[in-house]
Amino acid sequence: MNTSETERHAHPRKGAGAPPVVLYRDVRKRFGDFIALSGVSMDVRKGEVVCLIGPSGSGKSTLLRCTNGLELIDDGEIELDGTLLPRDWEGMRRVRQRMGMVFQNFELFPHKTALGNVAIGPMTVLRMTRDDSVTRARALLDKVGLADKADNYPSQLSGGQQQRVAIARALAMEPEIMLFDEPTSALDPETVGEVLNVMKRLAEEGMTMIVVTHEMTFARRVGDWVVVMERGAVIEQGPPEQIFDAPRVDRTREFLSHLGWSG
Amino acid sequence: MELDFSPVLDSAQFLLHGLELTLALSALSMLCSLAAGGAIGLARCYGPQWLRWPLVFYIDSMRSIPVFVVLVWTYFALPIVTGVVLPPFWAALVALSAHIAAYVAEIVRAGVSSIRPGQTRAAFALGMSRAQTIREIVLPQALVRMLPAFGSILSITIKDTAIAAVIAVPEYMNRSQTVAGQSFHPIEIFMVAMVVYFLILFPVTRIVDMVYVRLAHLGRS
Amino acid sequence: MNFDWSVVWRNADALVEGTKLTILLAVTTMAIAIPGGIVLALMRLSGVRALSAASASFVELFRNLPLILVIYTAYYVMPVATGLSLPPIITGIVALALNVSAYNSETFRAGIASIRQGQSDAAFALGMSRWQATYEIVLPQAVRRVLPVLASTWVSLFKDTSLVSVISVGELAFTSMRIRSQTFRVLEMLTAMALIYWMLGYPQAKFVDWLNRRFGISE
Repeated sequence: MNTSETERHAHPRKGAGAPPVVLYRDVRKRFGDFIALSGVSMDVRKGEVVCLIGPSGSGKSTLLRCTNGLELIDDGEIELDGTLLPRDWEGMRRVRQRMGMVFQNFELFPHKTALGNVAIGPMTVLRMTRDDSVTRARALLDKVGLADKADNYPSQLSGGQQQRVAIARALAMEPEIMLFDEPTSALDPETVGEVLNVMKRLAEEGMTMIVVTHEMTFARRVGDWVVVMERGAVIEQGPPEQIFDAPRVDRTREFLSHLGWSG
Repeated sequence: MELDFSPVLDSAQFLLHGLELTLALSALSMLCSLAAGGAIGLARCYGPQWLRWPLVFYIDSMRSIPVFVVLVWTYFALPIVTGVVLPPFWAALVALSAHIAAYVAEIVRAGVSSIRPGQTRAAFALGMSRAQTIREIVLPQALVRMLPAFGSILSITIKDTAIAAVIAVPEYMNRSQTVAGQSFHPIEIFMVAMVVYFLILFPVTRIVDMVYVRLAHLGRS
Repeated sequence: MNFDWSVVWRNADALVEGTKLTILLAVTTMAIAIPGGIVLALMRLSGVRALSAASASFVELFRNLPLILVIYTAYYVMPVATGLSLPPIITGIVALALNVSAYNSETFRAGIASIRQGQSDAAFALGMSRWQATYEIVLPQAVRRVLPVLASTWVSLFKDTSLVSVISVGELAFTSMRIRSQTFRVLEMLTAMALIYWMLGYPQAKFVDWLNRRFGISE
């Protein structure tokens, strides 16, 4: 029985009725002998915030990296807006421009200022003029609350500030969907909040987001759909209330209790 | 281009003795540089303040002057100043050791200062004396870290012995030149020389790498 | 023992010319060996087996040969190989450039490899092509990493130019030795030679130290 079908009837998902933005069909990926993804099937609706949770090594990050082609899948299919994703590097490069990714380690380019980091996508990839790129970059830095840090280098910014610049950098490409790979895992507790707030605002503005995270409070409050993964497979998925308050699968319950999540 | 390697074979004995000298000079220079350079490096780290300036001056000077110049000066000019005439082999030994000792001293200094102060603090906390700490805790770890650099110093030493040819040390390079001059087949002679030196130098770095990989964990703190 | 130090002043012009040639040799060699090293490094890092192996072999060969031997061999081989009678200075530059390119390629390779994969990932995630990611993100950072090492290599090269004196290229070492033979003023000329190299080399060595402090690896 297809669990996602029952879920859809019981809890109407956001964007229901419209075709999914991203569709994963039996996606498989291995690294040598290690099976990272063993047949993942799920979908992401427009405007939805999907949170991927699960123990380390469960394949959450791998699934994210397969979505924008940083890893190429071995088997199965991924569709973006109804079109199959290409299996070659160059084809994926064009698709990547429609997706934005935010990394756990921020990965800002240290030799460029905050402004330079945000503008580099539009300038190099979209081939916008320098002026247009800079205008767009300033607007985005303002949006994430860092307009005054435009001329600072990453080494002069705190972790939370760097991650916000990284979000602005991804947004500069005007993506249809944003991918977050444990965006707050490398941050001090004090700065986690400022990043989550930016993500929350993005969600409220209707951005489609896939977020790999350990921040259960975020998943509970901002997430529209939670997918629990373990050992390369989806073991449960549903709306946050159901997953956190009444998990159906034992392994989910175990995982949540290990995190100290008491509901 | 037709190659005729027979001159090489004819002079094989002659060349082989040259090779023996290359290896002897390399080994002796290496030992002397390690001893002198080690002493200088440690003196720089742990010695009295007034000693540092002259030692740094010596090290930086040797870094600035080509080994060719040091060799030539030691062989031709030193006798005039000191009245002591050194036969070519010994002149080369002195020159090479003096030159390379400077690099060894730098490596020793860098190796010792790479050991975190926390290590020495831990040793003192156990009640060790300064000398014990240096001997038991700092040096062993530092030596492991310095291994790759020493490997490249050995490689450089062997290559520098070839320059000793210009001061008439009858090592392999010098003998190759002699045979090349007599036989009018310089290309073949030097090709063989390239193979010989490569076969000596290539394993040296590889072996040092292998030894380092085995021991590296001992120096990680 | 009588010394005549005036021989140095009397031949100052020749010594200056020799010094100029030393500098020219070093500059020309580096001008070839930096792009040469980059090409070799990129070949080594490319996924293409043939290119990678060719580059690795070239580098291993020239790192494991005494430079003076390469100079002599080039001196005898090049006229035969090219069929031209080349001035020794060209041979000298070729030998030096081959040698230094090999060292530079290792420097660049280590520099490029030291840039975290995450940086390339971030560039790709923005939709950059492999070439764009290399040119915009990896290389600029790698350049900062390699600068101190390149400076060190330059200082070594500067000293190694003395070796082309053995094939009669008129740089500083050759000129000094020649004047020594002509005037029989051994101590004076050899000491002058050492001093001139020292005066040129000492500031360079100090500059390298400064570069290491300024650009030293700090994540």
